Amino acid sequence: MSAMKWFYSYFKKYQWRTLFGLILVTATSMLAIVNPKITGYIVDDIIGDGSNIQLDLLPKFLLLMIGATLLRAGIRLFFLFIFETNSQNMLFDMRDAIYRNLVAKDFTFYNNNKTGDLMSRQTGDMMAIRHFVAHVIYFTYECVLLFCISLVMVFTVDWRIACAMLLVLPLTLTNTIVQSKRVKPGFSKIRERFSSLNAFAQENISGNRVVKAFAKEEFEISKFDRENAAYRDSELAATKIWMQHVPIFEFLANLLTFVLMLVGGIMVINGDMTLGNMAMINGYLWMLNEPLRQAGWIVNDWFRFVTSVEKIYATIQEEPGIKNPVSGPFDISAPKPEGSVEFRNVSYSIDGEEILKDISFKIEPGQKVGIIGATGAGKSTLVNLMCRFFDVNSGEVLIGGQNVKEMDLRVLRTTIGMAMQDVFLFSDTIEGNIAYAKPDCPFETVEWAAKVANADGFIREMPEGYDTIIGERGVGLSGGQRQRISLARALLKEPSILVLDDTTSAVDMETESQIQQALDNLEKKETVFFIAHRISSIKDADVILVLDEGRIVESGNHDELMEKQGYYYTVFMHQYGEYEKIRKGESVNG
Amino acid sequence: MARNKYDIDETLDSGFDINQLKRLGSYVGVYKKRMIFVIVIMLISSALSMLTPMFLKDVMDTVENCAIHGIISKDDATRRVIIASCLMLVVTLMVVVILRFKIKMMAEVGQGIIHALRRDLFIHLQELPFSYYDDKPHGKIQVRVVNYVNNLSDLLSNGIVNTITDLCSLVFILFFMLSLNVKFTLVCLCGLPVLATLVFMIKKKQRRAWQIQSNKQSNLNAYIAESINGIRVTQSFVREDFNTDIFNRLSADSKAAWYTAVKYNFIMNPTVQTITVVTTAIIYALGVAWITDGFGAMTVGTLIAFTGYISRFWAPITTLANFYNSLLTAISYLERIFETIDEPVEVKDLPGAVPMAEIKGEVEFKDVCFAYEDGVQILNHVSFKADVGQSFAIVGPTGAGKTTIVNLISRFYNVTKGQLLIDGIDINSVTIKSLRSQMGVMMQDSFIFAGTIMDNIRYGNNEATDEDVIRAAKTVCAHDFIMGLENGYETEVNERGSRLSQGQRQLISFARAILADPKILILDEATSSIDTETEILLQKGLNELLKGRTSFIIAHRLSTIKNSSCIMYIDHGQIVEMGSHDELMKNEGGLYYNLYMSQYDFLNK
Repeated sequence: MSAMKWFYSYFKKYQWRTLFGLILVTATSMLAIVNPKITGYIVDDIIGDGSNIQLDLLPKFLLLMIGATLLRAGIRLFFLFIFETNSQNMLFDMRDAIYRNLVAKDFTFYNNNKTGDLMSRQTGDMMAIRHFVAHVIYFTYECVLLFCISLVMVFTVDWRIACAMLLVLPLTLTNTIVQSKRVKPGFSKIRERFSSLNAFAQENISGNRVVKAFAKEEFEISKFDRENAAYRDSELAATKIWMQHVPIFEFLANLLTFVLMLVGGIMVINGDMTLGNMAMINGYLWMLNEPLRQAGWIVNDWFRFVTSVEKIYATIQEEPGIKNPVSGPFDISAPKPEGSVEFRNVSYSIDGEEILKDISFKIEPGQKVGIIGATGAGKSTLVNLMCRFFDVNSGEVLIGGQNVKEMDLRVLRTTIGMAMQDVFLFSDTIEGNIAYAKPDCPFETVEWAAKVANADGFIREMPEGYDTIIGERGVGLSGGQRQRISLARALLKEPSILVLDDTTSAVDMETESQIQQALDNLEKKETVFFIAHRISSIKDADVILVLDEGRIVESGNHDELMEKQGYYYTVFMHQYGEYEKIRKGESVNG
Repeated sequence: MARNKYDIDETLDSGFDINQLKRLGSYVGVYKKRMIFVIVIMLISSALSMLTPMFLKDVMDTVENCAIHGIISKDDATRRVIIASCLMLVVTLMVVVILRFKIKMMAEVGQGIIHALRRDLFIHLQELPFSYYDDKPHGKIQVRVVNYVNNLSDLLSNGIVNTITDLCSLVFILFFMLSLNVKFTLVCLCGLPVLATLVFMIKKKQRRAWQIQSNKQSNLNAYIAESINGIRVTQSFVREDFNTDIFNRLSADSKAAWYTAVKYNFIMNPTVQTITVVTTAIIYALGVAWITDGFGAMTVGTLIAFTGYISRFWAPITTLANFYNSLLTAISYLERIFETIDEPVEVKDLPGAVPMAEIKGEVEFKDVCFAYEDGVQILNHVSFKADVGQSFAIVGPTGAGKTTIVNLISRFYNVTKGQLLIDGIDINSVTIKSLRSQMGVMMQDSFIFAGTIMDNIRYGNNEATDEDVIRAAKTVCAHDFIMGLENGYETEVNERGSRLSQGQRQLISFARAILADPKILILDEATSSIDTETEILLQKGLNELLKGRTSFIIAHRLSTIKNSSCIMYIDHGQIVEMGSHDELMKNEGGLYYNLYMSQYDFLNK
């Protein structure tokens, strides 16, 4: 499928309405020709030289003139509405499709595309399509129609002069083609610069705290100046191209008048044409001129549209690497698979860098699993593979005994509740954020989840409690508060497997142990994965996995690992080695 | 202002008034000379265009005299026709050249104006406080900087020039009309109040409709931005379908708003046309009546000449009406842009602020109180003094005000009461840039910019050489993992650094903070996601680094802060306990003691 076919697949639904609209356009064009005739008749025949005014006909023809104009205005209004409705409805469908397409893209796609770029597809590029469907289509048609009608009229009056005028056509065509070829890269560049400017602004706004902390406002402004200027220059560069062509069209339009004056004049002098015919052709001239004058602008509009369609299509046609093997309706209340997790010789690499190497382990439902390891050891990747945010390069991941690649992605992801390391909250109320998985759930459930996550207390202290709107990325909340909301959000899913990816790192110890207790006391025995650096977070786990450079180097429970005196032991001693000392000190004091 | 979310329309506090138009004028004013030039050449161009019908008339007269009346010989007539045609061609060439000039200059002016407007907007955004960004979805700020501004280009260049040229031709035509027949002119002008009444009647609704439209567009934009940024959460919570429904609701709102607004714009053209045709009809009727009555020496010639002018009189009015339509549309964007530019900057250099001399590192809080606008008291009478080279740790429950204390040192907010002194100088009396650039701040949210790792670290200090960057990375133990990436320091990371782990991101922003060689270092939960081994290594490097620098550390892992010169326990915005680890531990049953011991509780379970 090409970009244009993609566009047509949406346009198809509105093609008959567009056709109907174009018929109305034809009617208004006809009226545009008829109106001056009525006026001409009033002047020439009814009023004449003033000596013999046909008073009986005058009111009738004046009314006819008014009627024709009103009719034309009415029809015009009607077709404007048709095209506007078409464009808005089509835009709605397209937006919907693009949105669906984007939410189905995998993480790899989002890692490779900037937010600002993706946004431009839904904003600026959409506006170009809207303009095309609402305006450019009928306007192009109107121009072509007017030109053709008037050309036919000229032919009926005198074919020789019509042929002379036709000589302008090849020139027009050449100019059109050359302009088309030349402006396209220019518009493409504009779209790129626009996206880039958008991406830069987006990043600057998101990173405003860092900018201020480093007092880098001037640096950002100078970077912005470059983007801003680059965008302006791309516009001007495109202008430089079409400003060479648009005036040529203007010239060609006037060339028609020139042909009439020169060829027509000489023909009349030589008796090849009557003066009356020349005057008549003169009357049609505006209909020939006007479309030619507009041609350059129309070419611009077409190519702005084509560029945008191509940009959108390029974005959406990228097939996500991870696709749901199951389609069709999804029953959210269906029983979830049980929480067993098995990795069989799993390896995963990205950009040639091996993140996980030959990982194998098996976790029974209801077990508590602790994962510890150095920064960048592959801990988050491991849980991301469980949710199938990425696909393994080799080996298998099984959830509830099923290979994740064969599971309905929606079932898989509702089975796993993730509280991610990088907490993203939405600009919504706290209640809305916690109830993200089940927006319609009763307030009691939200409250319950918040209580388990030890968030109820601070939420109630806020000015509007659960109805407090929090900003994007949860700014306005402390790191610990954000983590707890994120945890509550994951809990509310009532997943079979709960993943806490460094979710308590910014929470103080006391709160953490309260959370741990609350999790232990949950009715439903969920399989829980804790990724943490604090021994306290994982000490009581049934299984502790120690990851180092993508491999499981140690596994077992706390006591077993302490005996091994390996990585876990070292970390423990770093964190609690002096506990013994303190206890002794205590006993001395006591 | 209350916090805003994607589906709440933003309110507009100030309406659009003449002052804002004046402001807009100041942007346009920069190009006054060019605009006037273009207007002059456009008037010349229209005057030249008027010549074409004259040449045509000359040709027609010539051939008539030759072919019908036989007054002129064929050869003479042919010569005259050729001359007239060629002259017409010359005139056309001039018009074409002028058109080319106009396109070029108007593009420059239009793009220049929006470039300047966007720049001012962006510069102002850099000065706005955190709260501005915290209070509204980022997509709503972004749409102002990029999309709204873009919408203005054509209006502010071609729109203005065409309007002025049209006004000029309107004056000309009016003059001709008056010289032909005053009464007809008056009849014709009667159409104007009708148009004015209509414009006035729908003005309010039309304005409101476009305002709503821009609000809905902004909402949609905010939701798109958020959907993209939060995609991981959305996918992991299987909310795709639900979110698509929300998106479609916003999309439908935007569609409906557009449709309503554009309807008003559609009304304009048919109205002008109707008025034109009605006045024309009236003039025909009156003219014919006057000719038959012999009233006022009316002649057919006058009548026909006059009706020729009517359409020329209304044509520029149609253009003006279109300009008015686009102006109303544009105002709904402009008022948002100006609203942002008018947003007060609370933290700014006071008059007479001087650059901060090289900071030695003494920080003193003198009875500092801080409250947010809404009156919620965050800090109550905090006083302490950190000497040069001391490391201060801040502990306490969530929401106690720890982050606020360090934010005040960087003057991200102004203190409500009391004084904050660095090296004995009130920080309000120095320039913000000189103050902040001498501090290294590492925040809870480690933000990574799109670009190479090298660029990300160098963000702390543009003048740093590659060696400096690598040294900083080594100090924070980031060097090894960076070298493990496929292109080392030149590896491209995207915004938010999604391919890096949280711990790695923290290390990079750490390196960034120390690269600035700050005399005061602030670490706000800077190492929460860094593993213990790395942290111990980091600590060693840091101890070296911290010599001679004053530092403030907020951390939950108490091992990180144990060796600090002073530990402050903050609760409810007050310092409850303060002292070194050993001193505080002596106070058994104290808050710090309990906090410290609580980390071992689980061992006894």
